[in-house]
Amino acid sequence: MAYKVTEDGNLATVFLDGEIDMDKTEEAKELIFPHIEAGKEIHINLKNVEYMDSSGISVLIESHQKAIEAGTKVTLKEISKSVLKVIMMAKLEQILNLD
Amino acid sequence: MSSEKLNPISENKDFLVHSSSLKDVRSFSRDVFAKLNISEDLKDELVLAIAEAAQNIVKHAYKNEETQDKMEIRISLKGNDLEIGFFDKGRPVEKNNVRHRKIDDIKPGGLGTFFIQQIMDAVVFKEGSKPWINHLVLTKKL
Repeated sequence: MAYKVTEDGNLATVFLDGEIDMDKTEEAKELIFPHIEAGKEIHINLKNVEYMDSSGISVLIESHQKAIEAGTKVTLKEISKSVLKVIMMAKLEQILNLD
Repeated sequence: MSSEKLNPISENKDFLVHSSSLKDVRSFSRDVFAKLNISEDLKDELVLAIAEAAQNIVKHAYKNEETQDKMEIRISLKGNDLEIGFFDKGRPVEKNNVRHRKIDDIKPGGLGTFFIQQIMDAVVFKEGSKPWINHLVLTKKL
């Protein structure tokens, strides 16, 4: 299933869902990275993500780093309990922008 | 650690070594842990550890190459001792090359091994007995 994206001016919101593992990361990157490279601010909505492993977390880290390089920002929105737990296990809650 | 007596478990399943199998690996693990009277949080953590180890076989033992090889996962519980075995026929694991990222190293990569080590009590790489090349053993006292 394709992930949904909405755009509002310079803000792009990417809605990830389901289970994000290494089989899904390329699809997520292909969706998120072009918006970052275009200098847009990105919201990644994680409300409907039921499972995320290290591959998914790597996409969040890469997105965050690419955004800094591009002079923009990635914010994680409506983070599901299961994703928050993995972010905290990775000790990234102080690094990534959580909202 | 659980003070309750847990029923013994001994289950195993083969999976094609491919990223598309990871969903089935999680499903198998969830089905096995559904039989245990342990917290949902712990079940989720164990499923994550198993999926990360399986992912490492796809990514590192097979370098994401197409193969018809299978990997086998065995989950057993005796008393409160959980043992999860992973068997594959990929490249031999060089133990010295297996390292997780440092806590303050914000890089994508190495996180899977970091998660496994956080969740499990012990992670041991063994040489597999034929026909297997690698045998990874994860253990945890429940």
